[in-house]
Amino acid sequence: MASCDSRRRSASGFALRALLTFSSIAAVFTYANLASAAKPQMVETPFLAPAVERGELPPVSDRIPDVPSIVRFDQPGRSAGKPGGDLETLMAKPKDVRLMTVYGYARLVAYDEDFNLVPDLLERFEIKEGRIFTLHLRPGHKWSDGAPFTAEDFRYFWEDMSLNEALAPFGPPKPLLVDGERPKFEVIDETTVRFSWSQPNTAFLPALAGAAPLWIYRPSHYLKQFHAAYADPKTLKAMVKETRQRNWAGLHHRRDRQYRFDNPVLPTLQPWYNTTDLPAERFIFVRNPFYHRIDENGHQLPYVDRVIIKIADAKIIPAKTGASETDLQARYIRFDHFTFLKRAEKRHNFDVRLWRTIKGAQVALYPNLNNRDPVWREVLRDVRFRRALSLAIDRHEINQVIYYGLAREGNNSVLEESPLFRPEYRNGWASFDLEKANQLLDEMGLTERDDRGVRLLPDGRPMELIIDTAGESTEETDVLELISDSWLKAGVKLYSRPSQREVFRNRVYAGESLLSIWSGLSNAVPNADTSPAEFAPTEQDQLQWSKFGKYYQTSGQSGVKPDIQGVVDLATLHDAWRHTNDTEERARIWHEILKLHSEQIFTIGVVNGVQRPVVVNNELKNVPEVGVYNWDPGAAFGVYKPDTFWFTEARRKRDQSQ
Amino acid sequence: MIRYVIQRLLIMIPTLIAISAIVFILIQLPPGDYLDSYIAELQSQGEKVDPKKIKFLREQYGFDKPLIEQYFVWAIGMLQGDFGYSFEYGLPVTDVVGDRVFLTFLVSVTTIAFAWIVSFPIGVYSATHQYSWGDYGLTFLGFLGLATPNFLLALVLLYFANVVFGTSIGGLMDPEYIDQPWSFDKVLSVLEHLWIPVVVIGTAGTAEMIRRVRANLLDELQKQYVITARAKGLAPTKVILKYPLRVALNFFVSDVGSLLPGVISGSAIVSVVLSLPTTGPMLLESLRSQDMYLAGSFLMLLATLTVIGVLISDLALAALDPRIRLEGGITR
Repeated sequence: MASCDSRRRSASGFALRALLTFSSIAAVFTYANLASAAKPQMVETPFLAPAVERGELPPVSDRIPDVPSIVRFDQPGRSAGKPGGDLETLMAKPKDVRLMTVYGYARLVAYDEDFNLVPDLLERFEIKEGRIFTLHLRPGHKWSDGAPFTAEDFRYFWEDMSLNEALAPFGPPKPLLVDGERPKFEVIDETTVRFSWSQPNTAFLPALAGAAPLWIYRPSHYLKQFHAAYADPKTLKAMVKETRQRNWAGLHHRRDRQYRFDNPVLPTLQPWYNTTDLPAERFIFVRNPFYHRIDENGHQLPYVDRVIIKIADAKIIPAKTGASETDLQARYIRFDHFTFLKRAEKRHNFDVRLWRTIKGAQVALYPNLNNRDPVWREVLRDVRFRRALSLAIDRHEINQVIYYGLAREGNNSVLEESPLFRPEYRNGWASFDLEKANQLLDEMGLTERDDRGVRLLPDGRPMELIIDTAGESTEETDVLELISDSWLKAGVKLYSRPSQREVFRNRVYAGESLLSIWSGLSNAVPNADTSPAEFAPTEQDQLQWSKFGKYYQTSGQSGVKPDIQGVVDLATLHDAWRHTNDTEERARIWHEILKLHSEQIFTIGVVNGVQRPVVVNNELKNVPEVGVYNWDPGAAFGVYKPDTFWFTEARRKRDQSQ
Repeated sequence: MIRYVIQRLLIMIPTLIAISAIVFILIQLPPGDYLDSYIAELQSQGEKVDPKKIKFLREQYGFDKPLIEQYFVWAIGMLQGDFGYSFEYGLPVTDVVGDRVFLTFLVSVTTIAFAWIVSFPIGVYSATHQYSWGDYGLTFLGFLGLATPNFLLALVLLYFANVVFGTSIGGLMDPEYIDQPWSFDKVLSVLEHLWIPVVVIGTAGTAEMIRRVRANLLDELQKQYVITARAKGLAPTKVILKYPLRVALNFFVSDVGSLLPGVISGSAIVSVVLSLPTTGPMLLESLRSQDMYLAGSFLMLLATLTVIGVLISDLALAALDPRIRLEGGITR
């Protein structure tokens, strides 16, 4: 039995480390936080002390689990703090409070800062053959209302929710299925549960650690009152009527939105719980008195007593940030606000930091291989055409003009930080070469031109490419403006067509769009054990082959079966990856996929590595100087554990006096 | 008179029914429904939604029913005082709107008062001193106010209020007072923030009002009864205030019809820029996210207020100016 220290530093910067490496089939791997051995003397949290004195809450040593998670501050620039203070942040819409689930980032299994998966809410977990997962809860762990968190909460989710016809007519969540097979679920004892499949499930743990995670447990003691199998039928019926739901399933859903965080009564395991009912302009999140993490000095986390979310229109959030009305802000501010914020930094007590992003491309073009127009479809499916379009983009100019030369030019592929990176993946067909582009288009037989110099399609129409944009930021249209100039030199006329997001999406799904512009790969720093699903046709929202994606997403029930060799190959490779456990074999498959992508140019990346401004109040400590800002994996600030952020004494006093 | 009022009230019923149908159709016109826009929003942040679950939610929200049925559920509910359910907030529409109406009312009434207080003296001055330097100067200022885009002025004022006075950006009060009970400090904070939207929304209205007062007054000033009054030696101020100004006010009363819905809807764009907790931004957002019952009920409320407003202004005009008759009838 091998064990692994979760706090090991990664050699390759922030590359995603191997997670499920199975050198021999029979091995069982235990993942546990070894640091949990010595439990320090606990100190009562000042914010909760009055409630403890009045007897409303048990003392801190009884509130934390028997085996708490002990956070150590061994990274440079981090240190243990003192509890107290109110953290203010800005959001644009009331429903953005769901981000507190993301920032809180208490997960059964979570990514650490080096993107290793480690137990978090769980005390430890064991994996056998990549298909049998045994999860050990922390004995004595409690929900935010003080009720025990046990195996019953898992059983309730599995048996009473995901297998219930009324609550989940759509069946169990996708990451719990391996090729359609449901897991075998067992309750071993009060604090141990087991999920097992007949084949390896690679999606399970990453889904548990996601920014919007897979919830396989529920506060059963609270939700049973809304469940037909447990509740008194009369009371339930009255509640359904009162809340205007169609049936009890609707009511259960409304009360059970763990992710949305909009039900102040719903017990949670996150560091802060919501106390504000909708509708409101200001949401107050208060520390969870039963939270499972403590620091080495015996302070229960989170350090920050309250998180206050103020709602303001998205357009004035950058201005408000510049006026120091937030303590921690990254959402709704963009790279183009950097200079403004940097100037405001001099007047106010905050620091503007630049964090890295790990998207494959800041903006990428998606030729729609499922276009409805037969003439255009043939042209778009011709690899020479896609290569020519890519070659006719002056990425250097775009980088200089729009990103102050701070971005990196290249394809929508893996980034240098990934162990799978090879220069040819980024550079293939990504240089600026108009001559070659023109030559490729001539080869295709598109030699006829009209008097503007625009090439003609085989049926005589001018080659006017309409690019769909979601039309939300000027960034995309600025980039398109520059691309338009150089494409015209290759004889392709570009028009951009802004539409609303949902219209945009539906146009792509229906095959009405020729080319669309969106951001690139969401995780461009994979390792061999990260799923290559994003690179293969797997989902309908893949803008370059929406209908092929839908075909695989619905297991062939709808969508279009791929009839292009490259796409079929990708699907086959993805399947092969899923059915092997061998890291070397997986790496080989990955390289084949990446090679295929760089040759086929299914998506045309423009620039990547654009940084993200993060504004941090100077009184707030433990926020890293440089980090990675990403949705999944990363959970925005989540992997940096916002529960360990603390305020200076001056600020804590100020907040206390208010 | 009573018969006339009853007649008008009866006509309001088919009008409102027609409006409700049009409103419902208009809201349904954009492709997709609330769930589509919700999914789109999630996806733009990189979040994913299970398509099977969407189907389930669609049934829960009642989107699987035919449009006609959805319309009747909503329309009949409204008659019983049930305005439907806001998907975005997960609450009945009345609960969502309730809080905001008061602040909207406050902003609008203050703005209207501001516009009147500023524009009346200026309008009167411009009319009595036609083509003087004063007239030109004030007209110029007024047009400047009309021509400056509201949202731009709003941003500029926000910036200066923040840099010079340290007022927090946007909103109607400092953040710590939001959702708190009313207190003296809260009122002060509201006053500190209120002047920006009032000035911004007011400037455009002021210019318009000045021109109208001026034009109407000029029409009257030429008339013989004014000359007679002057000839009889009535004090110049009294001449203007007592007779021509009163007549010039007619346009003003007929404006009440459009004023009433304006008071509730607020100036949506400015409110969005200033992030005011009024109903305007909420209406806009509900239309964007296709939160159909919230948007629909809002528009119905505005339509009802317009219809009532028009009735009130007609009645008030009749009371104010005996020359106006409500019923066609035979002139004796």
